[in-house]
Amino acid sequence: MKTYQLKTRQICFFFLAFTVVNKLFTLPSLTTSLAKEDLWISSLINLTLDFLTIFALLIVCKRQNLSFLELLEKSFGKMGAKIVIFLYALYFLLKAYMPINEQKSFVELALYINLTTDIYFLPFFALAFFLALKPLKTIGRISDIVWLFTVIGLTLLITLSISNTDFYAVLPIGASGVKKIFSASYVGANWYGEGAYFLFFIGNFKFGKKDGAKILSCYAVGVFIVTAFMIIFYGVFTSIAFRQSFALTEIAKYTTVINNIGRFDYVGILMLLFSNVFALSIPVFFSAKCLDYVFNFNKKWIAPLIVTAILLLTTMYLNEFYATLQKVFSLYLSAFFLIMANVLPLITLFFSRKEKKNEKA
Amino acid sequence: MKKHRILWIIILFAFATVLFFSNDFGLIDVEKEAIITAVAIDNEDGKYSVTVQIAVPEATSTSAQNTKTQITGKGDTIGGAIKNTGDVSGWFPQLAFCNLIIIGNSLCSTDIIKVLDFFAKTLRVQDSAQIVLADNSARELLEKTTPLDNISSFAIQKILFKNPGFDTDVATNDIKTFCAGYYDLSGSSFMPIVKVLDFNAKQENSNGSSSQGQQGSNGQQSSSDGSSGGGSEDKGKNFFDASTTALFLKGIKVGELNEAQTHAFNFLWRNVKGTTLSVNYSGANEIERYLLKVLRCNTKTKLKADDKGIKMKVEVDIYCKIADHNSGDHNANLSNNKPLPNDLIEQTENILKNNFNDLFKVSKQTNCDFLQIRQRLYRFGHKYYERYQKDCLDLVKPEISVRISGQK
Repeated sequence: MKTYQLKTRQICFFFLAFTVVNKLFTLPSLTTSLAKEDLWISSLINLTLDFLTIFALLIVCKRQNLSFLELLEKSFGKMGAKIVIFLYALYFLLKAYMPINEQKSFVELALYINLTTDIYFLPFFALAFFLALKPLKTIGRISDIVWLFTVIGLTLLITLSISNTDFYAVLPIGASGVKKIFSASYVGANWYGEGAYFLFFIGNFKFGKKDGAKILSCYAVGVFIVTAFMIIFYGVFTSIAFRQSFALTEIAKYTTVINNIGRFDYVGILMLLFSNVFALSIPVFFSAKCLDYVFNFNKKWIAPLIVTAILLLTTMYLNEFYATLQKVFSLYLSAFFLIMANVLPLITLFFSRKEKKNEKA
Repeated sequence: MKKHRILWIIILFAFATVLFFSNDFGLIDVEKEAIITAVAIDNEDGKYSVTVQIAVPEATSTSAQNTKTQITGKGDTIGGAIKNTGDVSGWFPQLAFCNLIIIGNSLCSTDIIKVLDFFAKTLRVQDSAQIVLADNSARELLEKTTPLDNISSFAIQKILFKNPGFDTDVATNDIKTFCAGYYDLSGSSFMPIVKVLDFNAKQENSNGSSSQGQQGSNGQQSSSDGSSGGGSEDKGKNFFDASTTALFLKGIKVGELNEAQTHAFNFLWRNVKGTTLSVNYSGANEIERYLLKVLRCNTKTKLKADDKGIKMKVEVDIYCKIADHNSGDHNANLSNNKPLPNDLIEQTENILKNNFNDLFKVSKQTNCDFLQIRQRLYRFGHKYYERYQKDCLDLVKPEISVRISGQK
């Protein structure tokens, strides 16, 4: 009898905890720089794409009970599967890089008064390495807990920000033009792509009745929260939103209560930072698992060590090229991100159909 | 094997903890830190002169008083001038508690955003800090001593941040909102002008009611202001006024709103509950003077653009009660919310209508879009934006309706 690593509940919490949190840092300002007041439409395009990807993968789950790896092996053989999985190892590695650097800069600017030590961000890599050693069920257990931090942190920040939001600021809808709206979606592709995670969840949880609806509903809640955050972000900062690189620290501080009591919004910010530590560890986890599958290392710590070491060294030594790398990631790698996060998972829908036909034959 | 694993985990955890808490988040010894409460910026010889007011916490067994020191630094940029204050004092400038930025009059003729952008872009300063324009030198304003507080910036903040129930006679603005106004389609923004009122001059010219308030403040001064010096009793008795507003277009000062216009402007964009309206009108036998307290104010503004032009509807619905009067009605108790006389309602409505109309006139004269007409046109009449955006301040026709009501 097949043992499942995840439970449907944990996948729901996964989307609730991690769909939102990594999109609250530099993404809103990046999207605004192109789409201006239509940033929420750009964001909604990416989120809808991910929603459709997850929907397609749920159909795959309904059709058969194989994991993505098993599906690939059956369809393309071991070698074909390894090539695809290697691409995913690369994808997750690249996907992790920008958000990790983003959180590093955020911590440096928002929490430190003066200069930091060179190694202050090392504990994150130690944690990411530790998590990458663990099986998939650890991600489920983390989701069981972390979603609460995300929800409480966000509730606090949104409650404090909403009174200073000019909701009319997002008018007129669509004035930025289709080209700019889609360009903003394209450059933000690195921060989306939850469908790619779900690709590795299929076959690892028991797909029961109404599970699809539960998972999609939780993702839809995430979509709603991200869209609402984008609108509030623009409503608070309006014409200077494009340069608010770290929206999270700024968004709630204009409330009278903050002026009188002090920056207690940092409670919410720290909760979201805590959630984001795990959100950042997830692509590291999957990259390590994919690499381990491809090269089949005889020690389980080798793949996690390779992935964390690459990220650690690039974070430390490519820091001076951050602006260039941001440009490269946004302009040139976004297509790769979209293919891996949305196109390939959607193609999986056709493998499963083929599988069913073969079974019938 | 399991024992070794636990040991490794403990060692790793301890190592990570040491790394994480090493450097104490970059904290600087409090004795080497200047907690800046206000910044005054002037233009001196083509350079920025930044004076920082620093709160100095002192350990004392008696009741603590606010003590302060001021340091001036110069630089080609604002950041450079602030750094210079640290260089000359040896204190690290800590701007996280800075709630007031004073801009000197000398900077009004240049694009002021070059000054303010530093505060808006860095996370080191709260961009929710209030900005004000000094009617003269910003440094001189900061150096004024006042009986209200040993730290002058705290005294200025008292007139900027008023609790509900006080008059909303100051058009306060913070760095973020100022910059948002500068960068949006209007390119316009505003900030209050802080003027120094000399205590003695004011007392000489004051009427009975205002001198009462000043006497109260004087008593406070004698017990708290130790810095004014024995021989110069008259010095240091300054009060501040911020009831006029400076208007900026593309960062350059283009005009001012007087007290009445500032008050009317506040009705359009802020909660004015608790503010008062002074109304004088000719009654049957004498001039009747009323002080009305606003208990509720609903303001609706709507911009409509069509082929004929642009109309901006301003509907102000005010519910108020009589707070004081010197009319002939001696039997009326002020505690009772009695109905307002019709003449009083009519007169108040006319005064407010004129004030609102004046705002549109000032906007047209100065070309400063502080009423954000251009932005409203973009948002609510986007179809006509290209057509009217250049001349919208000239074309807009205000339709003002003021409704005053009281106890019925």
